[in-house]
Amino acid sequence: MLEAFLTSAITMATPILLAALGELLVEESGVINIGIEGAMLAGAFVALAIAYFSGSIALGLAGAIAAGVAINAIFAMLVVNLAVNQVVTGTAVSILALGLTGVFYRKLFGVTGKAFMVAPIAKIPLGPLARIPLLGPVLFNHNGLVYFTFILVPALWYVIARTRYGLRLRACGERPEAADALGLGVIAIRWQALIVSGALTGLAGAFLTLAYANTFVENISAGRGFVALSVVIVGRWNSWGLAAASVLFGAAMALQFGLQALGTVVPYQLFLALPYALTLVVLAGFGGQAAAPSALGEPYRRQ
Amino acid sequence: MLSSIAKPFAALALAAALISIVLAALGASPVGVFAALGEGAFGSWYACVDTIVKSTPLVFTGLAVSLAFSGALWNIGADGQLTVGAIAAGAIGPHLGNFPHAIAVAIILAAGVLGGAVWGGVAGWLRARRDVNEVISTIMLNFVAVQALSWVVHGPLMEPSHAYPTSSPIARAAQLEFYFAPSRINLGMILAVVLAAACYLLLFRTGAGFELRAMGRNRRAATFFAVRIPALTFWVMALSGALAGLGGAVQISAISHRLYEKLSPGWGFEAIAVALVARLNPLGIIPAAILFGALDNGSQAMQRTQGISPELVQVIQGLVILIILAFDTPAWRGLRENIFGAPHDAAAVPPVAEMPDA
Amino acid sequence: MLRANAITKRFGRTLALDAVDFEALPGEIHALVGENGAGKTTLMNVMAGSLAADHGEAILDGRPLQPGSPRAALAAGIAAVHQSPMLFERMTWEENLALGGFDTGAGALDLDAIATRARSLAAKLGFEMPPAGATVENRSVAERVRLEVLRALSFNPRVLILDEPTSVLAPSELTAFLDLLRSLRGEGRIVVLITHKLAEAIAVADRITVLRRGRVVARTTPARTSEEKLAGLMIGEIVTQPVASATPSHSGDPVLQIENLTLDDHTGRRILDRLSFRAAAGEIVGIAGVDGNGQTELVEVLAGARRPSSGKITVLDGSSGGAMAVIPQNRDLDGLILDMRLWENLILARPLREQVTSHGWLNTSHAIDLCRELIDRFRIRAPGPETIAGALSGGNRQRLEVARAIASRPRVIVAHNICRGLDLAATAEVHRTILDFATGGGAAILISSDLDELLAICGRLLIISRGKIRETNPGERDPERLGLLMAGARD
Repeated sequence: MLEAFLTSAITMATPILLAALGELLVEESGVINIGIEGAMLAGAFVALAIAYFSGSIALGLAGAIAAGVAINAIFAMLVVNLAVNQVVTGTAVSILALGLTGVFYRKLFGVTGKAFMVAPIAKIPLGPLARIPLLGPVLFNHNGLVYFTFILVPALWYVIARTRYGLRLRACGERPEAADALGLGVIAIRWQALIVSGALTGLAGAFLTLAYANTFVENISAGRGFVALSVVIVGRWNSWGLAAASVLFGAAMALQFGLQALGTVVPYQLFLALPYALTLVVLAGFGGQAAAPSALGEPYRRQ
Repeated sequence: MLSSIAKPFAALALAAALISIVLAALGASPVGVFAALGEGAFGSWYACVDTIVKSTPLVFTGLAVSLAFSGALWNIGADGQLTVGAIAAGAIGPHLGNFPHAIAVAIILAAGVLGGAVWGGVAGWLRARRDVNEVISTIMLNFVAVQALSWVVHGPLMEPSHAYPTSSPIARAAQLEFYFAPSRINLGMILAVVLAAACYLLLFRTGAGFELRAMGRNRRAATFFAVRIPALTFWVMALSGALAGLGGAVQISAISHRLYEKLSPGWGFEAIAVALVARLNPLGIIPAAILFGALDNGSQAMQRTQGISPELVQVIQGLVILIILAFDTPAWRGLRENIFGAPHDAAAVPPVAEMPDA
Repeated sequence: MLRANAITKRFGRTLALDAVDFEALPGEIHALVGENGAGKTTLMNVMAGSLAADHGEAILDGRPLQPGSPRAALAAGIAAVHQSPMLFERMTWEENLALGGFDTGAGALDLDAIATRARSLAAKLGFEMPPAGATVENRSVAERVRLEVLRALSFNPRVLILDEPTSVLAPSELTAFLDLLRSLRGEGRIVVLITHKLAEAIAVADRITVLRRGRVVARTTPARTSEEKLAGLMIGEIVTQPVASATPSHSGDPVLQIENLTLDDHTGRRILDRLSFRAAAGEIVGIAGVDGNGQTELVEVLAGARRPSSGKITVLDGSSGGAMAVIPQNRDLDGLILDMRLWENLILARPLREQVTSHGWLNTSHAIDLCRELIDRFRIRAPGPETIAGALSGGNRQRLEVARAIASRPRVIVAHNICRGLDLAATAEVHRTILDFATGGGAAILISSDLDELLAICGRLLIISRGKIRETNPGERDPERLGLLMAGARD
């Protein structure tokens, strides 16, 4: 029971964390992308479609990466090159992706209501580690995407806090005009962050269809892109914090499924609303965006 | 050079071109699809009536969004505000059987206004007093509202038989009547038109509206000239929420008569497209809302005859917003000046007369 | 040799640079002088790659520089020190320097090695460095300038362009700074010093180029010119000293009283420190200070845009909230809404807004009439009240702001760097208007970093330094002594 719950919590946390880590990169560069949901949906749909028709999970994952990157490229074009409002663009991008995936899903798979299943991504038990009681199944018996996601946490922390690249990234988010004057190339750096984030978010979507649901339904991401957005806030722009917040929110989701199945008196909606409510509480408590990059969300353009 | 009026139409034309590409990818005929959309939206008396019905919530949310955006308050939460307004209306509606019609209607609509105002006001208060970005807070409040609706229709407000996840129907007295049958014109629609005019007057003919626009154009300058930014932020967000909430109450009172899950198909997000097409002008909200309401309505016919699912409407919404943003960008403005040249006033400088050590 | 060839740059309606030719040689300090708004900074930005010129090119040693690429400019050996230091506030000073040339770019990022290299260069220059790991946000303005100079030098540039570096330095720090420039010249570098302080240019430069309204009007050397001649070239008009004689002091009843005004920012840093002063009717009070000593925040507090932590502001004998009118320093960002119409900008001022509103309704035709009247009265060059404010020239924007302040009929006008960027004729006109206002029984408070301007018009002078205000002795007119006070010296 506990084992199943904890395993499920890690599984639920993975796509959220993956997308949130991408968003962290983007926000460190000074851009806020509230259209994560769009790239995630696109990744989810393309991964399933390719995996279903080709039978190859690897091709499906590659397709998800390409789809996420493509969605973020549209966003980047408008927000980075044309310096338009990031919030409205992000909203439009998620509406667009929701529509596109819906239309193409119906086109490819018809309206028969038949489920189009794919085989799940194989789990890779990590040798003897997977045999540790409780911890083994919970932490060391997952598919590759889960390991990849959690390895990204320290990796990304190191990149952002300790490397030249991270320094330049933060410089763009702190004061883009000064970064520009130093020849750092704000536009290029923001594009890079958005491309990497698109790939990660696409993979997060692929996780939903290829590792979790094994099929696609319209709006399968069901707000996870926005949960990723709140994970960045609750995690205070620190990848370790992001991991903790993701696992917390993943646990809330896992608990919700258990409660729904059990039919207890505690309304499961409470747990579904938890990430959002908690984000509001954290924001209200910390008083705004003290930990956020200074130039977050401000369009940058040269005179 | 595109004039400010021609611009939205140019954007729509470009959107149509891009959608044609999407349709071609789907193997559908763009002409057939657009014809089906038009036919479904305006092809008959009933279709037209239905288009108006589908546009009504968009007028309310569109006004909500355009007011907030005019003050550079990025209210992404009209959907949640509408939902909470609807919950309030749906909760009080069944208990209004003993009131006269007019009173019952007033109460149910007031409940919607209040519910929406609270939801918008929370975001406004967080922004004004705790410096919490309204974008994030309104997004989060959207999801909280959706879960709250799901909870009430499964729990406290569930209809007595407990067979369906809906609330009990509202009392007959609280239902908006249809005038000029079979037009289904109701008080809600008349209210929508009146409110559009009222919002226009508020924005362009009152001191408060001026302060709101000043805050939207240059928040820092507004602070220097005794515009009370925190109070204004709170009240505008509350008003914006109230408009959306009223939309929710009208929907309950006139159309659905009861609460159910996923009440809003995304009216609060569609409102962003509506508001941008209207260039945030409240008077423009009505035609813009009818345009998108027509798309929603026509999409059913499009699905029947062309086999394209109604999600195409969201593709159109997304593209329209993106294209309008791209057309409005300062980057283009700079380009335009480079192409057409800009008048300059430095010509008053006389040519250099003395060059001592040239 | 650094050359600028017929560089033209336009911003919207304004021609910032008009076919400017410029040339600086290795081993020389070349001063680029001109009034604010003459195009000096724009020229620097073009040469440093921050801006792409519309026409013309910058050439270093015969090779044209890639336009609009700061990276190419840095690679070619051109480094810039900006007027307000381009530092990353919430990063440590080591990280700030790591983004410059101290970082070798190879291997892992090593902040310790970078700090060591920075300290050794700093030691050579006689700079003191902040403690290890200190973030920039709490450092003083002078420390920031030093950090930015250090970062620019870390690129080992052949050309160093400095944009008004001395405007944030206290007079006492100036000598050491000018010595630094001389030693850089000695190393065979090209030093371009942008300034509007003529004495400085004459003292340190080998050659001087004068810009006026986007054009080169003279090339000369210190030996062949004088401050007066340079001033004449810069301004291009007959220098009329603003009327200074008729400045009464303490002629009337006290109007404004400020007691123990204190402001702490969100980090708890003290910005304004128990300020107390008063102003009387008919008086013009000057508050002199080096930029960044709390002036901006004082104006924000007086305007009501910011709540003080403690203290009291009393407008005596003022009935309504319109008793004080504020003219903030940055007219394009703080004072005007550039994409709104002139009449709309006018009713930004609360008393005027109230004048044209009744029961909440805005009487637009009343506002437009009022605006038309002020356009005539203050000779604002504009087609009419419906003109967009952004279409006005800088001088006319300032006229609009002054007109708005006067039309609000305040008891007190607070004006911050009101004449920055205006030519001398416009400055005189603004001063005349302020003087009329004081003569009519109002009190004016002029906050400025330009001591000469304040000495010319103010009857009484206060000094602001590190958020503290002190009175000067009546009749104290010695710029050197006042400069020392501005630098924070105690008597």
